[in-house]
Amino acid sequence: MKLDHSQPLEYSSEQGRLNILGFWIFIGAEVMLFGTLFASYFTLEGRHGSGPSGAEIFEIAPVLFETILLLTSSFTVGLAIHAMRLNNKKAMMTFFIITLVLGLAFLSVEIYEFTHYIHEGAGLTVSAFSSALLTTLGTHGLHVTLGLFWGIFILIQVAKRGFTPETANKSFIFSLYWHFLDVVWIFIFSFIYLKGMM
Amino acid sequence: MKELFPLKQVMGFVFSLVLTAVALSVVMFDMSFAMGMTILLITAFVQAMLQLMVFMHARETEDSGLILANVYYGVFIAVVTVFGSLLALIWGYM
Amino acid sequence: MEFFERFAIPHPSPIIYASMVAIGITLLAIIAGLTFFKKWGYLWREWLTTVDHKRIGIMYLISALLMLFRGGVDALMMRAQLATPEAQLLDSQHYNEIFTTHGVVMIIFMAMAFIIALMNFVVPLQIGARDVAFPRLNALSFWLYFMGAMLFNLSFVIGGSPSSGWTSYFPLAGNEFSPSVGTNYYMIAIQIAGIGTLITGINFIVTILKMRAPGMKLMKMPMFTWSALITNLIITFAFPVLTVALAMGTMDRLFGTQFFTTGNGGMDMLWANLFWVWGHPEVYILVLPAFGIYSEIISTFAKRNLYGYKSMVASMVIISLLSFVVWVHHFFTMGQGAMVNSIFSITTMAIAVPTGIKIFNWLFTLYKGSIRFTVPMMYSLGFLPIFTIGGVTGVMLGMSAADYQYHNTMFLVAHFHLVIIPGVVFAMLAGLTYWWPKMFGFMLNERIGKWAFWFISVGTCVAFFPMFISGLDGQARRMYTYSESTGFGFWNMLSFVGAVALAIGFIIIVYNIYYSTRYASRDIGSDPWDARSLEWATHTPVPEYNFATIPEVDSSEAFWDSKYNGHKLFKGKLKEIHMPNNSGVPFIMSALFFVLGFSFIFSIWIGVIVSLLGICACLMHRSFEKDHGRHISLEEVEKTESELRGGK
Ligand code: HEM
Ligand SMILES: [Cu+2]
Repeated sequence: MKLDHSQPLEYSSEQGRLNILGFWIFIGAEVMLFGTLFASYFTLEGRHGSGPSGAEIFEIAPVLFETILLLTSSFTVGLAIHAMRLNNKKAMMTFFIITLVLGLAFLSVEIYEFTHYIHEGAGLTVSAFSSALLTTLGTHGLHVTLGLFWGIFILIQVAKRGFTPETANKSFIFSLYWHFLDVVWIFIFSFIYLKGMM
Repeated sequence: MKELFPLKQVMGFVFSLVLTAVALSVVMFDMSFAMGMTILLITAFVQAMLQLMVFMHARETEDSGLILANVYYGVFIAVVTVFGSLLALIWGYM
Repeated sequence: MEFFERFAIPHPSPIIYASMVAIGITLLAIIAGLTFFKKWGYLWREWLTTVDHKRIGIMYLISALLMLFRGGVDALMMRAQLATPEAQLLDSQHYNEIFTTHGVVMIIFMAMAFIIALMNFVVPLQIGARDVAFPRLNALSFWLYFMGAMLFNLSFVIGGSPSSGWTSYFPLAGNEFSPSVGTNYYMIAIQIAGIGTLITGINFIVTILKMRAPGMKLMKMPMFTWSALITNLIITFAFPVLTVALAMGTMDRLFGTQFFTTGNGGMDMLWANLFWVWGHPEVYILVLPAFGIYSEIISTFAKRNLYGYKSMVASMVIISLLSFVVWVHHFFTMGQGAMVNSIFSITTMAIAVPTGIKIFNWLFTLYKGSIRFTVPMMYSLGFLPIFTIGGVTGVMLGMSAADYQYHNTMFLVAHFHLVIIPGVVFAMLAGLTYWWPKMFGFMLNERIGKWAFWFISVGTCVAFFPMFISGLDGQARRMYTYSESTGFGFWNMLSFVGAVALAIGFIIIVYNIYYSTRYASRDIGSDPWDARSLEWATHTPVPEYNFATIPEVDSSEAFWDSKYNGHKLFKGKLKEIHMPNNSGVPFIMSALFFVLGFSFIFSIWIGVIVSLLGICACLMHRSFEKDHGRHISLEEVEKTESELRGGK
């Protein structure tokens, strides 16, 4: 395999560079996926039938908490990549673990939030609004869940194999994914919750 | 220890918290819907750009032109889809 | 017993029972044949696990042809039913099922597969690459598509076909009006195939952007590769919309969500909206590769380089944007106000402009060219006028005020068939004939091919032109019969005659394949058409690594230049070659998707859980696996090369 040592490890192999570009394009597709969910949510937002509306069920505290958890995890995964580029395996793994723990915390709060909604009478099947809300949030949550498993796999590989062009590449791509989920959350936070509570 | 916390990323993080706080103002203070939406749109898109440029390293390789073109294309189409759908199904619906 | 009742066909007929028997016998015959000839190992090693883009292309091709057959039989049945007033051949439910499966099979499983087949085979060769960027994902794409297609076709014999149209509008497609599992099949089979297509989109964008031969700048790519790039771009951004819409439709049907329902705030129009946000780009996904194929063929057989290369590229880039901003023209009559309709009317007409530019470019390429009337060229020449008629009637439909008159009539059916058949089917047949020698090492018989061409092109006109008239007279689409007093009888009989001619054309093509396989000369060299782009620069049959040395390029017609203008394509020395390993995981994972889909369709939750776990295991395996590919040694490359050169 030809390696190009002038670049960070994750870019050093040809396949690695292809993977990164491919993942960016995948993110483009994900933009469209969430764009469609948003389009549907905004269309159905006011149509809550006999169920509760957004303003009636949204609570600011857990949502803010989720936002801060996710923003911080996005920061720490950035630090993990920085540490990887300094070739500091221990720091990288620490930041990575912090990221995943924050992600797990985020998920727990989200699960609490869901049970709260269902308790308030906004279950999945109640109204167009509740279906769209829970599906949009759920899709994001599912992405986070998948990310957690994927992150754990990568962590195991870094622990076992150290930094190789492959593991570095995977870690970098994972960080892209994680930042992207953060961006999606920002839009959920702004245009579902804050707009809904305004 | 210090080299593990590059200034750019720390500043980016602080800035993203500030943006969140600014966005939060729309529910804290009384303001018109238009005003609130303007604030949200600005904070959300700035926040997204911040993640893209600072954390996602979108500009560091020779492919950055492709990467950014791809992201902008996606955002353009997503925005068209959102507003077009709203136009057809709500605002322009009789 | 109750468990098994759900698998019964709710509305059976002798044809369906006959097909059950036929499918059963075919399956048994295949299994017996493979066992008897000891071909299981061969099948697994060479095809099911392959990651070679050429073989994947050929598998797509075979599947597409099979689906063409299935969709074609549906079409013939519809035309036969409508040929005379008040015919009794099909009842209304069966008619509904057949037009639904016809539409889905033709668009999603035939046309998409056909274009992806040709892209798979040709694009890496045209850019001088050894494979696509992600060969493993490419195999996954194919198998997901294949499993989706099989799942969809299974509906015919297990549980009942969908019957709410290929657009599957709610509330008709909801549980209340479509209680059978048919629409579940629709939602889930298309979902699985769609994920495969999305992966293809990403794969080919990266391939084309990053794996071109040295010297091949973007503006020096062959036109088919350009069209593939733009197509895949549209795929990547349009298919997620379909994914979401289908997921929401599935949830409405299986989990009782309220997206498209008529109570509790649900909005059935949202489905139509999302469907067409995907659907209009989809028609360009189909037609752009066709444009690329025509560009290649017309310049090859007019012996001229393509007129207006830059404007060709520019018009495709414009289409890639405009195709996402016109979707509302599919439901002008839904009730949105004049303002919205006007906006989308204007964008719709705007999109005809870049398409028109391309037509003129082809005409100018032909002008003063020395034209060879080969079969591919004849399809291209037939395409120009017929497609123009289809396109112009599209502009008529695009005028929102007038569309109230045309919408949901046979006029619309005539429009889209007269763009899709010359735009996609002709192009596929042209491309198939054109690249056939590269794929299989012999040419299809020209004389038989021309017979097929005449049957197909005349058949298309006879089958679809009458619909303009009966449509303007008020014949609605998707009606299973009409009374004699309407006066539609004559036009529909004419259409039936055209449809039979089309069918004969396809039978002639099948015969041509048989005939040429038996009798055609194998001694055709590697460039039988005197063509212009890189795929003809390598040997026939193409070795698995495509090019022993990577070609170097300095124009959009590098191969032509190497033949006639002294350009040197292959400068490097032979070296050992790195290739990806085969893998069974894509096949296994897709088979699990099949089980997953089937379990969803019939709400068998245990199957859902088990297959999901299996899929996760596949993903995990992929994450942990170390796969560095394999090397073909220098000696082996040298040996293959000298054999191929000798064989010429
Ligand atoms: C010249 C550019 C085109 C224009 C202006 C145009 C316009 C339209 C309009 C306005 C409709 C909706 C009419 C109605 O429902 O009343 C329509 C339907 C359709 N068009 Fe086109 N079209 C064009 C090109 C194409 C191409 C190139 C294709 C495919 C390769 C295509 C495929 C279709 C299909 C499949 C439908 C019908 C879908 C359905 O309702 O089942 N069109 N077109
Ligand atoms: Cu359209």
